[in-house]
Amino acid sequence: MTVIGTNTARIDGPAKVSGKQLYSSDIILPNMMYAVTLRSPYPHAEILSIDTSAAEAMGAVCLTYEDICVYEKGSASVVTGPCSRQNEQAVPAMYNERSVSVPNATYRDRTILPRKARHMYEPIAAVAADTEELAYKAMKALKVEYKVLDAVYDPLEAMKDGAPQLYDKIYLGDKEVEIKNNIGVIRKIDEGNCDEGFARADRIFEDDFELPRIYHAQLEPKGCTAAPDAEGGITVWATAQSIHGNRQLLGRALNMPLSKINVKKITIGGAFGSSIQVNTVTPICAALALKAKRPVKLLSSREDDFYSHQKYPAKFHVKLGVSNDGILTAAHVTALIDFGAHQIQPLAFMGCTAGWFASLYKYSGNIRFDGTAVYTNKTPCCAMQGYGNPQINFAIESMVDIICEDMGFDAIDFRLKNYRGVGQEFWGQGPTIRSIIKSCGVEESLIKGREIMDWDKRGKWQDKSGDIRHGLGLARGFHTSGTAGPKEGEVIDYSSAFIKINEDGSVDVVTPVVDHGGGTWDAIAKITSEVLQVPLNMVGLSPADTKNTGYDVCTHATRGVYCGGAAVYHVATVVKEKLLAMAGRMMDEHPYQLELIRDDELGQGVIYAKGYHQKKMTVGEVAKLAQINSWGTIQYADSYRQKNCPPCFTTHFVEVDVNIRTGEITSPRVLIYGDCGTAVNPDLLYGQLIGSFNRGLGYTLYEDLPFDEQSGELKNKGMLVDYKMPTSWEMPMVKNVIVRHADTFEPSGPFGAKGIGEAALASVQAAVTNAIYNAVGIRFHKLPVTPEKMLKALKDGVKEVY
Amino acid sequence: MTNRIPLTLKINGEEKTFLAAPEINLLRLLRDNYYWDVKCGCEEGECGTCTVLLDGVAVKSCLTLAHNCAGHEIWTNKGLGYNDEITAKLQAAFVECGSIQCGFCTPGMIVAAKHYLQQGGKADRQAIRKAISGNLCRCTGYKKIIDAIYKVAAELEGGGR
Repeated sequence: MTVIGTNTARIDGPAKVSGKQLYSSDIILPNMMYAVTLRSPYPHAEILSIDTSAAEAMGAVCLTYEDICVYEKGSASVVTGPCSRQNEQAVPAMYNERSVSVPNATYRDRTILPRKARHMYEPIAAVAADTEELAYKAMKALKVEYKVLDAVYDPLEAMKDGAPQLYDKIYLGDKEVEIKNNIGVIRKIDEGNCDEGFARADRIFEDDFELPRIYHAQLEPKGCTAAPDAEGGITVWATAQSIHGNRQLLGRALNMPLSKINVKKITIGGAFGSSIQVNTVTPICAALALKAKRPVKLLSSREDDFYSHQKYPAKFHVKLGVSNDGILTAAHVTALIDFGAHQIQPLAFMGCTAGWFASLYKYSGNIRFDGTAVYTNKTPCCAMQGYGNPQINFAIESMVDIICEDMGFDAIDFRLKNYRGVGQEFWGQGPTIRSIIKSCGVEESLIKGREIMDWDKRGKWQDKSGDIRHGLGLARGFHTSGTAGPKEGEVIDYSSAFIKINEDGSVDVVTPVVDHGGGTWDAIAKITSEVLQVPLNMVGLSPADTKNTGYDVCTHATRGVYCGGAAVYHVATVVKEKLLAMAGRMMDEHPYQLELIRDDELGQGVIYAKGYHQKKMTVGEVAKLAQINSWGTIQYADSYRQKNCPPCFTTHFVEVDVNIRTGEITSPRVLIYGDCGTAVNPDLLYGQLIGSFNRGLGYTLYEDLPFDEQSGELKNKGMLVDYKMPTSWEMPMVKNVIVRHADTFEPSGPFGAKGIGEAALASVQAAVTNAIYNAVGIRFHKLPVTPEKMLKALKDGVKEVY
Repeated sequence: MTNRIPLTLKINGEEKTFLAAPEINLLRLLRDNYYWDVKCGCEEGECGTCTVLLDGVAVKSCLTLAHNCAGHEIWTNKGLGYNDEITAKLQAAFVECGSIQCGFCTPGMIVAAKHYLQQGGKADRQAIRKAISGNLCRCTGYKKIIDAIYKVAAELEGGGR
């Protein structure tokens, strides 16, 4: 039986259920100090001075803007030293926390600590002391002189002349960029001939859609522990999706050689994209540890965490041309993105959003995208499961439903006519990264879904009655698997691995790839097990850090299995060649005449002479003899880059019950259809699909993060209590969550696998609102659809809710 | 510095005495003393990652004043796993049913499930859903967690207690 494709207990399961798994908050070091941050009580204010004397008198070590400067000579920093307002040459390193894009496609606008607070509760100083209590008291003793500035929260207001300006200039790569009217990024894409496409259309549909800011709500708040070492270096345990991204940014921000920085790979308590960037607390913690010359631990409170990262909100205007025979002839999307106080790459976000839009349907090749991203005095936005995909998918899949209702097309047939499938181009990460689709489960999911969910019997909303109105809706989506294409683009993508065979036939794997919890490490172990025919429980995932691994860009873009796993597959394949070559020498056989077969009873692989199985050696015997003979260790390390970005597809058929007396919406039954190529571990695949449906319900029905425009605070004050996300109670009853995966094989993936993580969320939102339309005939263009909004629409008799 | 006051309580079957500030919550007391399986997700009583048993009842340790536990008995998931058959079964079922992703909610979730089963909770998915609705999980969508608890409940019902 193969290991790939079968359900196996995840390798980190026992540690996690027994409470033995350590996370960044569990790192404790001798002589460690505890740190807290001082956060701006104003959404927009210049920091004129910070008096740290009282805090220091209490024994605390303080870090302010004055401490984080490096002297720059030309473009290279040469000396680390304290900042001085008198010394204009001393400036802090400016960076973008997210570093997966190439430098000349990365806007840089922030420093470890700012001279000006640009959103409420932005960290402006940090204090470390022997205990957390003392640190907190010392933080309260900091005296800060602010010059309070007017703030702006609405992106349209922010773009007006005379609005408060967050920035004068920032950097794009090494180039200085002037910021006018708070416009951070403009991104325009135009392909084919949209004017001609719209002219050819029989009907043109135009509409608006809006999605709120929401919060990742990963259960582990961001944290970091940093320890200076005797050689002048620093070791860091941080909540991170990319250890190498952390290493590189710390090198730049602290002006230290990269060989002096070691970032440890640790388990993280969920992320959903919020640690693709280096978390704000990490460089603060590292700088504080260097200043204190002692280990420092800095943990975010839940409130701090709410004010550190949120999902990009979006406003779209969508225009689609359709012919009478149901062909989309052209598409134009205008996007307005309010990304908050710092850029965590809205440039890439809009490129990706355009790509998801362009890749969903063919639109006869006529595509236009006009995106504007605007600074406001709010928490900075970053990726959250989909990077624009759930946002634009909601808009396009709602529009498709509108078109089908209006023109009388069957929603499944229409999609089958227009989707991009095998042989079509897919944009994996914006316009610069594209590859050709080679595997596709769209047809299967729509055709089988039609049967499983009795699609043809769903009826029309006009025919429904009673207090509970039942509806069925569908939407389809996808996400990329990684960010690599045949040609290099704006985004960096490769991974690395090191594998060695031990003298007893067991195998060690060292990988820089981080697992958010979806099971990437489990997949890496299974790929190794399958290639090297070693039992899964004999594969060890070594502790890893940035010093002992090659680069991996990040566990983002649904690339863990497809790209990280491919690097492991590549290295394992070379190790297998070396093993067979070595065994050939020992067994006096040509390596081609040998075969490697797993033996679970022996707990290792066995190498046989083909056609004569009496002649054999175990892998352990080969490795041991190679060691005794001083031939060497059977091992290999390399970097590896995928050259495709295959889409993993999903389709959601969602049933809803709308209670027209209370406005409550529940989902009694759902079909989740995923296409990830080969499912490395089907059980974990299903877990991803179901978990994403849960988050999608939250996004569609409950979650929102309004700001108070008087104070600049979140209306929930950063409290989880007032941030409603689905509990076990809101999920559909267990037996009614139906999960299927399409029978596909991705030729470019390890054992035919591609990703699933982010795809699993993409189409939930539109499927739910399309079902709501089918139940009550009301089209919701803006999320979330709360009971209040539903009741108001029912009471007012409104059919379109914006 | 606040005055620290001696506090004696039983944790995972062992009697322990600590010096603890009067205002400290049970979560901080536990984590300060290396009971790291008790996780801190919000410290405001919402997420449930810090759930422990206090005299057999599942409580959120962040909302429990440490000194109020003087003389009482605390069990965490890790301690229960070694000593309590139901918890050991739950831990095994969580692995088997794929109920774990990032694992941060897991210790608290298992304690909540243990409390449910100890109270005589049945293999009833609706009741299980309700029993764990005070524990948030952002990764899994709960289905597989409910599967695991259901499995153990059914086993206990089948085999008697």
